[in-house]
Amino acid sequence: MNKPLEPILTVSVPPHVHCGRTIKGYMIETIAALMPAALMATYMFGMGALRVMALSCAVAVTTEAICNKIMGRKQSIDDFSGLLTGLLFSFLLPASAPWWLVTVGAASSIILGKMIFGGLGASPLCAPVVGWAVCRISWGTVMDTNATMLSSNLPAPLQQLKYFGLDSIQSIQSSTLLIGEQLGGLGEVQVIALLLGGAFLLIRRHVRWEIPTGFIAGILITTWIYQLIDPTTYAPPMFHLLAGGTIFGAFFLATDSASSPIGLIPCLLFGLIAGTMVIIIRVYGIYPDGVPFAILLTNLFTPLLDRIRPKPFGGPFSYSSKDEEGATCEKC
Amino acid sequence: MTTFSFSLQTGETGPLEKGSEPDRLRIPIPCHTPILSEGDQVLVGTKIAIANHDGSGDMHAPMAGIIQDILPYSMLIKVNGKDRAKTKKAPSADGAPLKEWLRDMGAQVKNIDKAPILIINAVPPEPGISIYDPLLRDYRKTLELGLETVQRIVKPSKMFLVAAKGNRANAFANCTVMHVAPTYPNGIDEMVIKAVTGQEVLPDAPPDDTVILSVSDLYFIGRIMETGRPLTETIMTIGNRNYLIRVGTPVGFLAEQAGATVQPGDRIVMGGPMRGLTAINLEQGVGKDTTGLQILRKDESLKTTDNFCLGCGECERHCPARIMPGMISRCAEFKQFKRAEDFHIHSCIECGICGYWCKAQRPLLQYIRLAKYELALLRKDETPSDMIVQAETGQAGEKE
Ligand code: SF4
Ligand code: SF4
Repeated sequence: MNKPLEPILTVSVPPHVHCGRTIKGYMIETIAALMPAALMATYMFGMGALRVMALSCAVAVTTEAICNKIMGRKQSIDDFSGLLTGLLFSFLLPASAPWWLVTVGAASSIILGKMIFGGLGASPLCAPVVGWAVCRISWGTVMDTNATMLSSNLPAPLQQLKYFGLDSIQSIQSSTLLIGEQLGGLGEVQVIALLLGGAFLLIRRHVRWEIPTGFIAGILITTWIYQLIDPTTYAPPMFHLLAGGTIFGAFFLATDSASSPIGLIPCLLFGLIAGTMVIIIRVYGIYPDGVPFAILLTNLFTPLLDRIRPKPFGGPFSYSSKDEEGATCEKC
Repeated sequence: MTTFSFSLQTGETGPLEKGSEPDRLRIPIPCHTPILSEGDQVLVGTKIAIANHDGSGDMHAPMAGIIQDILPYSMLIKVNGKDRAKTKKAPSADGAPLKEWLRDMGAQVKNIDKAPILIINAVPPEPGISIYDPLLRDYRKTLELGLETVQRIVKPSKMFLVAAKGNRANAFANCTVMHVAPTYPNGIDEMVIKAVTGQEVLPDAPPDDTVILSVSDLYFIGRIMETGRPLTETIMTIGNRNYLIRVGTPVGFLAEQAGATVQPGDRIVMGGPMRGLTAINLEQGVGKDTTGLQILRKDESLKTTDNFCLGCGECERHCPARIMPGMISRCAEFKQFKRAEDFHIHSCIECGICGYWCKAQRPLLQYIRLAKYELALLRKDETPSDMIVQAETGQAGEKE
């Protein structure tokens, strides 16, 4: 049996069949889910938006390639995860963002958000949001959509709410917000298109229902509580749901696989915490939109949340604990 | 995309057919000590090797011939005749003597002990394996004899026949029929025990109060009692037909008989696609526990990668043991085997479902088995196979 015999067979551990899903397929389908929003953004904000998106993607992919070279790793850009991170990052930027901001942000998304932790899957934080936070903290004024797009007629709902109070947003219709007629990150405000993409991901089961549901429930419940406290100062739930990057965060940022928990209850809680945090930041924070920071903060809870586990089959059992149990039994 | 389905429904199967006679047999003896030497003539049913472990059946020659070669894990017999060894008579005593006699005749009796509950598992072990169906339909006499014999050892107060919904299940006397949903992994023993008793038992730690046997176990024991000849065959699903195949028949011979060609890089899976073993070459002989034969082409089978785990949780969502295969595989990947215990590695029933769903195509079950093996080594500085037996007896001893 030791001599080689033709034909040489493949020998491996089971299972021998596979569902056919790949990392690449997952990335491509997620990028496809973002396409309607990208189109809407171009339509809404013109070529500026297209420029930001293209530049961000290009920088992200190049940075990943360079990092792989420096770190001596196998080239990984062909799984499109870098491209996806670049695109997600650009969605958070204003269409007016200068080229250097896009470059720095996309590069830090990849370097600080992903490669520094060991690449795809290892990051404890949602990569595009890391890049966003770097830019937001360093160059707040250029990141401010309201200040940089003064020429636009579109409303900036969250800024108006923050600086001018509830009255200033009374005139803004939900439907306007829904179709993306608001200032904000170029892609994150395309609510209806993002909902479409989110539905696609849900149907294809790339995203599970737990995190978006928890997230949206968190937003609605918290705003509802604030409204109970004082309906004259706090905005209604629907407003918070449709303004800014709520939907984008719920379906595309919070669901990032590496930085979100795994189980059913942890995922629901994760969504709830993030959603609640969004509103708290929007109400008390110095930043008008709390979505990215809320997600970043909630990412830190992930390891904790992942400890909420169902009882394992027939267990828990481990060799070391078993020995201890044996010892106590003998004593009594 | 594969067209693989987890359904355990077998539909209508044909009769049990007899496999053709090969001109050579390569009998697997991984845990056996050969008692004959090269050049010896054996008859049909001559004992050729003794099991090293308690409760495993001894090995007998399925066909008459000359022993040509004895290797560490297999024995080659050149077939040259049809002479049979004498039949043996079963002891009239119940309990231990009967058990020992069955073991001597080649049956696997490790789990057959006195217990209040006896479960007969008629749920297909894997999708695409329909071996129990023709047995339940055409061989009731033999099965009943097998069941009677087992009852003489187990002396159960309750008996259950568990079948997948939609598959054939005619109860035996005093036997309650239970149905489980016809999806994999419901046919795995641990899942069946849970369905019947509600009790979850760790793999490798059989429960004290329950004995679980498959329909083919009953059939083989029934056959031994009927004929007085040792167990030298196994039942296999090949294509969608079921065959009685002599132990040691080379897989290449079976493939040829089924009209299949094997190309380089294919996998010959002995068993089902989720848990089966791959043959190392066409000469490998089937064992007593082989339940099927499938040839998977190079490009339709799982090609594992060393991609990093995405943390997507796909594996965890499908795991019947409610553990985190992704995290365990990370531990194993970085040789942190002790940490794998924190993720409850011992609960894994090795169903292979996690590997089926993993987006990154990580060899999850392989990592899990590696970690289990390393943990076993850490625990006992002995050879792994001895260790496994000792670990089991150790657990049993503690419960008493
Ligand atoms: S093989 Fe995978 S899916 Fe099956 S029980 Fe083990 S860890 Fe869970
Ligand atoms: S399915 Fe694969 S990639 Fe996803 S968490 Fe499990 S091991 Fe990791």
